[in-house]
Amino acid sequence: MVCKYFLMIPLFIFMTLIIAGSSMAGKPTEDVRETTDKLIAIVSDPAMKTSDMAAERARRIREAVDERFDWREMSKRTLARHWKERSDREKEEFIDLFGMLMERTYLDRVEGYSGEKVLYVGERVDGKYGIVVVKIVTKKDTEILVKYKLKNKGGEWLAYDISIQGVSLVNNYRKQFSSIMTRSSYEDLVKKLKAKVEKE
Amino acid sequence: MSEKDLSYSHCRQNDTFYPFASLRLCARPVWFRFVRVRVLFFLICWLSMFTSFCFAEKDQTWQGHDEVEAHELDRMVYEERQLTESGPAERPSNLKIAQVKDSQETSEGSDPWEDEEEEIDSIYDPLEPMNRAFFQFNDKLYFWVLKPVATGYSAVVPELGRVCIRNFFSNLVMPIRAISCLLQGKFEALGIVLVRFVVNSSAGFLGFQDVAKQALDFPIQDEDLGQVFAFYGIGPGFYLDLPFLGPYSIRDAVGWGGGLFINPFDYVVNFWPNVGIRVYDIVNKTSLRIGDYEAMKEAAIDPYVALRDAYYQYRLHLIER
Repeated sequence: MVCKYFLMIPLFIFMTLIIAGSSMAGKPTEDVRETTDKLIAIVSDPAMKTSDMAAERARRIREAVDERFDWREMSKRTLARHWKERSDREKEEFIDLFGMLMERTYLDRVEGYSGEKVLYVGERVDGKYGIVVVKIVTKKDTEILVKYKLKNKGGEWLAYDISIQGVSLVNNYRKQFSSIMTRSSYEDLVKKLKAKVEKE
Repeated sequence: MSEKDLSYSHCRQNDTFYPFASLRLCARPVWFRFVRVRVLFFLICWLSMFTSFCFAEKDQTWQGHDEVEAHELDRMVYEERQLTESGPAERPSNLKIAQVKDSQETSEGSDPWEDEEEEIDSIYDPLEPMNRAFFQFNDKLYFWVLKPVATGYSAVVPELGRVCIRNFFSNLVMPIRAISCLLQGKFEALGIVLVRFVVNSSAGFLGFQDVAKQALDFPIQDEDLGQVFAFYGIGPGFYLDLPFLGPYSIRDAVGWGGGLFINPFDYVVNFWPNVGIRVYDIVNKTSLRIGDYEAMKEAAIDPYVALRDAYYQYRLHLIER
């Protein structure tokens, strides 16, 4: 009789362990993982590393990034209250420019990939909005916490902000843009953006 | 030596060997006589101890994560909702309609971004002209002095060595982290800091290896006096970009200065050797992070504002943890 009770204790503990351990990855995580895996595959493909393939490589990375990010949503948030003051044509122009800037930024970061581990740590969904938390473990033993803020658009989860170690990209650009716009004008901002994007 | 001399010899029964029999004074429960039951009993004891150990460890790390994420994510989702969908607060009935409607319509239909919003979540910067000058100074310092030195240094010392040296220096400033944890009442973090120090200083060869992280999964606790001040409700004050030291808020600069008085290391080492060690530490750290600053600058339209905001957001992130 005593044995039976003793047997039940570790069994019970095991059960709770198993329940606590099983974390279910939902659709947002799957979407982010898909894009990340695609990017890693492109970057670590030895056939794409040659110099004459550089343009093709960049194009593919752009494509993969484009699929996952919602430039419109991002532009809207970075311009904040100035968004409403813009005409539709200006909006389209800005979205294009901002998208190009982000692609460039992302491209530079992805190009530097050297076998870092990507761990999917958490996910949270609240209605249309979701957050996927990713931990990047570098070879130098440092951990970088990355949060993707996503919005569900027709079943597809699109990112509208990334925050790296608590620094939100959208917030950061919003501060820069509003600082420039209060100093000079929207036209000046567009000029600066164009200069940045065209400088290869 | 005869069998009589052994202390447990009087406890021998039926030629069965009981190593710790003398401790139990030969009084065993009745069921102990059955060997299978006894083996099972020990097995179960060990198993439950083992599992409870595993459970305790896993529990600590997982729970920590989940709680932080849950709280944080909840807040973020809430903020996003506020930002994009809620619109003016005096129209609660519209909230539901807005949520049902397509996102594009709602975002253009309401005015979610009010003027105050930008004021609240950025740091006050009255000394901007001075800060911009120092930003330029630090920028040049980085590109002309620090980066070439760090690049040369990294050519000489392999990466593994540099990581070890970084670990060694970060282990030395343990007292600042410990006291900051204590002052904030973060006793769990304090425990981790102390265990980390003991384990890394001994098993980790004076802190060169981060054994506590690898073996125990005790990550470094990033606490400092600036966060203690924030914990007691002191705001960041205003922004400072100090020459050589980089971005600081008034509060964190004071915290940094206070840290100089807390650490026993600074009392042991004289001034100039101390400065030398710190400079070496900075060069070593920079050698592991070449490219980060360039990337930040490359991505930014106004690098000064980008750095100021990144610093502010990063500090907030540390404080909220």
